[in-house]
Amino acid sequence: MQTGKPLKYDVLVIGGGIAGLQAALDLADQDFTVAVLEKDATIGGNTIRLSKVFPTLDCASCITRPKMAAATQHEKIAIFTDCDLRSLERQTSGDLTASIIRRPRYVDRDKCVGCRECEYGCPVYVPDEEQGGFTLRKAIRIPFANAIPQVAILDAKNCSLCGRCAKVCATGAIVYDQNPEAFVIQAKTAVVATGFSLTTIHRKSPYSRCRVRNVISAMQMERLLAPCGPYQRVIRPSDGKEPASIAFVQCAGSQDKHLDITYGSRVSSMYATKQAMLIAGVLPHADITIYHRNIRASGKSDEPFFQNAKAMDIEFKKAEIAKMAQAAGQNVTLHYQDLDKKGHPASREHDLVVLSLGMAPQWNPTGICELPTADDHFIQCSRPQTHPTVTAMAGVFAAGAATGPKDIVDTIAEAGTAAMEASNYLKRAVHQNEA
Amino acid sequence: MDPSTHKQTLRDLPAKCKNDIERTSKSIMLNNKVLHAIRELIDAEPRTVPQIAQTLAMDTAEVLIFVSAMKKFGEVVEGDRDGGYFRYGLISQL
Repeated sequence: MQTGKPLKYDVLVIGGGIAGLQAALDLADQDFTVAVLEKDATIGGNTIRLSKVFPTLDCASCITRPKMAAATQHEKIAIFTDCDLRSLERQTSGDLTASIIRRPRYVDRDKCVGCRECEYGCPVYVPDEEQGGFTLRKAIRIPFANAIPQVAILDAKNCSLCGRCAKVCATGAIVYDQNPEAFVIQAKTAVVATGFSLTTIHRKSPYSRCRVRNVISAMQMERLLAPCGPYQRVIRPSDGKEPASIAFVQCAGSQDKHLDITYGSRVSSMYATKQAMLIAGVLPHADITIYHRNIRASGKSDEPFFQNAKAMDIEFKKAEIAKMAQAAGQNVTLHYQDLDKKGHPASREHDLVVLSLGMAPQWNPTGICELPTADDHFIQCSRPQTHPTVTAMAGVFAAGAATGPKDIVDTIAEAGTAAMEASNYLKRAVHQNEA
Repeated sequence: MDPSTHKQTLRDLPAKCKNDIERTSKSIMLNNKVLHAIRELIDAEPRTVPQIAQTLAMDTAEVLIFVSAMKKFGEVVEGDRDGGYFRYGLISQL
């Protein structure tokens, strides 16, 4: 269903994570009108789903939420969640035309006040993917506590159409027969800030042969550490035991040509160190070991952060993991080569194992627009040394983890650069029109 | 959409989503059974996840998922420790 005339903005920002929001805010503050397109039900991207950030150990929500709120309330910014970009083309007029499908939420976005009465009334429990699958959610729910917008979303595949949500909704916001909505945005320039996703645990052979209990990903550990997490404390998911021994396995999905991820994630050393320090804070008697090939502490204040972790008795063990196996009592045995002892084989048992997985691009532009990708499948910049946000598609800029793995600080800095490039492009376009 | 077409669309929905509704209804029944059993068990006295799992002959991981959901929706509260585990009781016991 195509609705209405094209919506016109100066800039289209593709991705509502920290990079997209920063670029949108920087451009809107210069009086440009901005449309932010987000595939999820909430803006905030990966950052809003973290517990704390390194090396300052600031609350991730305290960094991200103000930007989310500022973008939502900015009069020059329009946010479109639940959207899939179908095509992005440069027209002969010079404008970019984006064809978009907005997926139904089955809730009237204007009527819902986010009271969660529908969620409490719903009888359907399904695994909550926003909490790492460690707890259950309802078929209708607010995605998570600090999501923006605070508008409910109904999972139609898991709805029994019992009508309870509609009965308890005081504003009559439930729309069982909502349809996808197609619309077009015209903009003069675009910023691609589509971020990253993590590889799956079972892609790498040492971890895929058997499904070992109490082996989780770093993003799942973020949920365990978050104050609004599934258990509000760190316990292991197989039986609720407070772990006395926790292992982190680095490069569990990166720097591996068999996975087609030959590059490192740049941030996994530091986020594992951060998580280890946070665990040491909440479980002071736990033994924490980080198995790694090399620790990369290259960012500002990363080295002192790493040294602090060592001072907190966190063990950094240079090792190559060969195999993981289930041990007695739902523990995990790690079989590894000790790289400090000429690769001597060894093994150790842990209550909980956290894998630092690889970072892969979240979005593939193939078939949607003419943006080229590099060998690593991230968006290729045409002048990476001098203009790292400029792409081969005129007037389309890229920022953040869309162009490759990077930390939050670099992501925000690059988003500002992309906003400046877009601003310059818009100003040049105005001058050309006037001439 | 005019009101009569809208009404008809809503009337047609259950038939259109028949398979999803059947699957979801079965899952509601199964989940309610488990929730009811956990409620009954911890109503007597707070218990740890392995204790609940052993009594109900369920997997510990599955029990923890249900208990955490009950905690999230305000039915269950975390109590004191029993070794490395926490006891969970009904909030109505407080």
